[in-house]
Amino acid sequence: MLNIAKSTENGKAILSLDGRLDTVTAPDFDKTVREVITGITELKLDCEKLEYISSAGLRVLLTAQKIMNTQGVMKVCNVNETVMEIFDVTGFSDILTIEN
Amino acid sequence: MSDNSMSPVKVSLSGRIDSGNAAQTEQSINEQLAGKGNIPVVIDAADLAYISSAGLRVILRIKKSYPQLKITNVNSEVYEILEMTGFTEIMDVEKAYRVVSVEGCEVIGEGFNGKVYRIDKDNVVKTYKNADALSEIQHERKVAKLALILGVPTAISYDVVRVGDSYGSVFELLNSRSFSKILATEPDKFDWCVDEYVKMLKKIHSITVPKGELPSIKEKTLKSVLRMKDSLPNGLGDKLVKMIEDIPESDHMIHGDYHTKNIVLAGDEVLVIDMDTLSVGHPIFDLIHMYNAYVGYSEYDPQIVLGFQGYSSEVSRKFWHDSLRAYLETDDEDRIADVDRKVRCLSYAGLIDWEIRHPDADAQKANATIELWKTRLIDILQTIDTLDFEIGISDASGLSELNIDATTDNLEKVIDFVNSRLEAVDCSPKDCMQLDIAVEEIFVNIANYAYAPETGKAGVRVEVSGNPVTVTITFTDRGVQYDPLKKEDPDITLSAEEREIGGLGIFLTKKVIDYISYEYKDGRNILTLKKELH
Repeated sequence: MLNIAKSTENGKAILSLDGRLDTVTAPDFDKTVREVITGITELKLDCEKLEYISSAGLRVLLTAQKIMNTQGVMKVCNVNETVMEIFDVTGFSDILTIEN
Repeated sequence: MSDNSMSPVKVSLSGRIDSGNAAQTEQSINEQLAGKGNIPVVIDAADLAYISSAGLRVILRIKKSYPQLKITNVNSEVYEILEMTGFTEIMDVEKAYRVVSVEGCEVIGEGFNGKVYRIDKDNVVKTYKNADALSEIQHERKVAKLALILGVPTAISYDVVRVGDSYGSVFELLNSRSFSKILATEPDKFDWCVDEYVKMLKKIHSITVPKGELPSIKEKTLKSVLRMKDSLPNGLGDKLVKMIEDIPESDHMIHGDYHTKNIVLAGDEVLVIDMDTLSVGHPIFDLIHMYNAYVGYSEYDPQIVLGFQGYSSEVSRKFWHDSLRAYLETDDEDRIADVDRKVRCLSYAGLIDWEIRHPDADAQKANATIELWKTRLIDILQTIDTLDFEIGISDASGLSELNIDATTDNLEKVIDFVNSRLEAVDCSPKDCMQLDIAVEEIFVNIANYAYAPETGKAGVRVEVSGNPVTVTITFTDRGVQYDPLKKEDPDITLSAEEREIGGLGIFLTKKVIDYISYEYKDGRNILTLKKELH
């Protein structure tokens, strides 16, 4: 299960993730990202309640990062320790802009 | 005609054979065998009291001319000589069996193959109707010992005896009651019986049997279905055969006759008896014999079950349903009905074959029974395409296995299954998440690629062992041969623009567990993960 709360304001979008970002929930997350990403200059992903991430979730993050690199910035915030370790071992902590 | 099918020539020896009469004995034996060619010879030593080395040399020469020599009914003194001189290793020597009379003894049990008599205060003897009783007894002793060693509580006969013209096996009299008796006399113990009965069944099914120790029950079932398949219309017989062939092989133990007369309560210990049908195979094969005993065999005449088990067909049907529900660990009636249908399919086929070969004395009843089974079998055969089903088998030893359709829809079930096996161990949230990741990546890989565009099964086995606690998870599938470890790791130093979207799953798996190995064996991809818990 993954709940995604979204808010957009002045060309900025915030997506708050609550739950598990896995093979089952990644397609929904991907869809939500694509809905909000057009024309924004900042995408903020609040991971405070993100408990779990697998490669399916990482793929969506990479896709979003690639898009945002062409039109603005993407920030990933409040990443917990276990998720952070996944970012570390996969090199994602170098690709993503992580603000804790 | 082969040598094996020739009936052996029996030669009897008596009294003492020593240097004084050895030559004479040899001459007499040779006269009895003259002109018979290379035939099996049986020396009946029932009346042989003593044999010296001169006598042994005679036997050696006979063995040379007649390699298929067997010595039977050897008394313990002579057996000791034969054993000391190494004769028991170079030829077939059978000890004399103690003779037991069952005349006037109380019959305490009766099955299709024979009766059980109480021969004295502490002992019972189980007799066999079949002509080849001795090999049957030896088989049952062998498999019962194997079962005991592998962890199934059972009773083992401690002696083989002669009973009239046949043989019997002697057991200690257990102060025990069968589950049939308990169900018949203590209805309030019904749920307890279901629980214990299913717990024992799962224990049996969780045991992996070393290769070659037990026969495959699938082959036996196939033989029976091949005999009756042509009585089914429209190629349904061939469809049934194909579906049986498609049932996955398994090296897990199957009892083969698991009903409430064969489960006994001795003191507070539950024992399984009647081990002669012990085999290996898919759990459906045990469920078939359970269905036969509770419902199938008495489907036309419900009175049969009362005569056989001692309880009514209502109790019997409920016991079958509740046991199946407990066995499948589900309250989903659709799922129970699905497995029930698959079980009945094979049950009817086996029962039809059985009834044709052992018809009821009442021919009209026999025909009506077969017709009923056949009609129901045809109905089922038209609606199902596979006999396989998902099942979780677990036991207290920490070993368990799930066999499930490899689809991403089942990911949650697989993760839940793995986590349920980890409940007993102290797994930190971080370790749990990392195991979840590994399980997800591997299972999703199988779901997406192993059988594409079709779907197929994946096996997931979880073992927890040792100190430090180590979790081993094994994935198996019968899809296309693929070694994921050959895939090159992605370069994680590249920038976001340079990095490719995919290819992270196996890499991530390798990062979160301690050990991973792959092999392709018997048409199966086998991927093993190990992680030490912290």
